[in-house]
Amino acid sequence: MPSEIRSRSWPWIAIGVSVAVALFLAMVSPADTVQGELVRIMYVHVPAAWLAYLAFTVTLVGSVGYLVTRKLSWDRVAASSAEIGVYFTGLAIGLGMIWAKPTWGVWWTWDARLTLTAVMFFVYVGYLALRNTADDSRVRAGRSAVLGILGAALIPLVHFSVVWWRTLHQPASLLRPDGPAIQDPLILWALLAGVVAFTVIYVALMVKRIELHRVADRIRDVERSADRPVAGASVTAPELGGGLGDE
Amino acid sequence: MNAGFRSQVAAVVERDLRRERRRGDVVWVTIPFGAMALFLLPLAIGVDTQLLQRVGPGMYWVVVMLFGVLVSVGRASIETDAQRDAVSLLGLDPAAAYVGRSMSAAGLLLVYEIVVGVVAVVLYNIEVIGIPWLALTLVITAVGLGLLGSLAASLVSSSSAGSALVPLLVAPLSVPLLLGATQVYEGLRLGRSILSWMLLMVVVTLVTAIIGVGTARPLQET
Repeated sequence: MPSEIRSRSWPWIAIGVSVAVALFLAMVSPADTVQGELVRIMYVHVPAAWLAYLAFTVTLVGSVGYLVTRKLSWDRVAASSAEIGVYFTGLAIGLGMIWAKPTWGVWWTWDARLTLTAVMFFVYVGYLALRNTADDSRVRAGRSAVLGILGAALIPLVHFSVVWWRTLHQPASLLRPDGPAIQDPLILWALLAGVVAFTVIYVALMVKRIELHRVADRIRDVERSADRPVAGASVTAPELGGGLGDE
Repeated sequence: MNAGFRSQVAAVVERDLRRERRRGDVVWVTIPFGAMALFLLPLAIGVDTQLLQRVGPGMYWVVVMLFGVLVSVGRASIETDAQRDAVSLLGLDPAAAYVGRSMSAAGLLLVYEIVVGVVAVVLYNIEVIGIPWLALTLVITAVGLGLLGSLAASLVSSSSAGSALVPLLVAPLSVPLLLGATQVYEGLRLGRSILSWMLLMVVVTLVTAIIGVGTARPLQET
């Protein structure tokens, strides 16, 4: 197999393998004694929420990286990660609502975790909207970097909201100081496989999005340089008096 | 804070307040708009006076947050690139400009909060309790919103969608202030401790101030 095809196909192979393993474990894991088959939504909901944290943390790193180094590659990392993060935050909220209806009896409740996750979603929707308002790459990068840093303050708030405000949403199942709360090893492995599969998807999407941003920036730069007048173009030769051409 | 920085901040505050005196955006647009919103809400949810008394404080803070953003929106839409370039060429410290803009916005927001607050008390028959704590909450909220609004206005300055984008940026980030302000009133009403909510509001305000001052120069350079 030529090396170019190999390098193009590795993300799909990695996604295929990790998703297949995660799906298999999610299917063979036992049903919950209380929630029954509904618990399987957890294998998608929790990894999606984890990916939102990861994506917005990477956006923070990219934003700080841009402000420190002024290299646009950092901005592309931040923007790509924010796009993926918004998608997976929306997915986590949507799946959470589907899970909430049969278990809590409502699609939405004013729980601290839910509310803060929705707030985080809107902050990063604003981040993406802000990026669309500036044509110049450097202007866009500088401004969105500031919002990328400000928005990251919500990540610990969202995560610890279930600890600080004990409401309807259950506390963290995996990231706990006293170890995971899930006792059944098969459920735990299924959940971890889901997290790994989503992380692989994230990495593959990041590689593609960063490349797309790089190409888009290059096209924009070429268009802008084509529109720019050549130096001296505004200077025109003075017309000579006396009507030489008419005589 | 040295004398040069202070005088620059004072100059920016003075400029913004002069502009407000000339244009009257807050006095003639934002305050009547906020009062009108408080007037309309009972028509939508019903004119049960007991219900209105219960939800009134929350309604007041929602109106303060959503319509208070207009103070920053106004500035984002009237400052031109040429004005910004002229100010930066004058050698004004970007951090001083940010602090000055935020202070003037906070002052105007405080006036807005007080006037709309009186309207809310009259329309919803809200019980006014713990006046010193409420006054402190009004000040912290005004400063926090002023800092957030000024930062958002800097982020969108000179962009075509600027004034439309400011509310989208400020509204989600002002949620901790909204929560803190409403819970302070609830705490005072029910005799519970309000210190944790005051602390939340102060921390959010300080974090915004630090990020705003720290990023003022990179933002000006863009």
